[in-house]
Amino acid sequence: METIPKNEAPDEAPTIPKPPERLAYSIQEAADMLGVNYFSVYRLIQRGKLKPCRALRGKLLVPRTELLKLLATE
Amino acid sequence: MTNPFEHRRPTELEDKAHAEAVRHFTEHLKQFPASRAAVERLERDADKIALAANRAAAKPTPKENIIQADDGAQWHKSVDLMENIYFCHRPISYGAEYAVVEHFPAGGMNEIWNRGWNACEVLNSFTQGQRQALQVWTEDLTAQVQEFLSEKFPGQDLSRVADAFVHKCTTQSVSQKHSHNYSHEQKHNRGMRI
Repeated sequence: METIPKNEAPDEAPTIPKPPERLAYSIQEAADMLGVNYFSVYRLIQRGKLKPCRALRGKLLVPRTELLKLLATE
Repeated sequence: MTNPFEHRRPTELEDKAHAEAVRHFTEHLKQFPASRAAVERLERDADKIALAANRAAAKPTPKENIIQADDGAQWHKSVDLMENIYFCHRPISYGAEYAVVEHFPAGGMNEIWNRGWNACEVLNSFTQGQRQALQVWTEDLTAQVQEFLSEKFPGQDLSRVADAFVHKCTTQSVSQKHSHNYSHEQKHNRGMRI
């Protein structure tokens, strides 16, 4: 027998599927997320606190896991 | 790096691409010169800063200038080095220990960059790190500009534009506006002035 889940209204609008989590962010995005300026992000990279990866042409990207790790240690 | 447009004038396409890059990377154009100027100021004033820190270590510190760092110890802010970065000291039984401490507003933490018994050495080591960070920034900016130009103008060789842009960004002086903000910020910080 089919049952309607308790907290779900039958006429509720269909939910839009969430986009998949990003795996990495640009320096600008990382700076915005951490609430610091660009130089602070490059400093964190220079100190090895954030380990970036490189996209095509060598542009730096900051993996999401690195940002989470940094915030967790803070 | 020299400006490649000094030797041969840019073509119309190069002019257009350069203008697009300047528009797209405005924030880098603002932030890089200001950061470079801050590092140069540190290099130039290292002796004065170290002296100011030594003097501060010999005096009692106002309560509001005492912070707790990630090592669990209390540090006394003596000089503001950059935005959210302080040169600090703490009394020890035979003098003072010095450290560069960065405050992270996101987590509210104060993290020690480097520390030691000699104020000059601590400061120099920090300054060298800043130079290296500027180098990382320059290399990344070059890659970002190259990527931007190749996406915006596929199939065109705009390497001179990328070089000219990075040259502009890494050599131009701090804009009047930014320079004003910086001095305003300095005035309102609480650490000792040099």
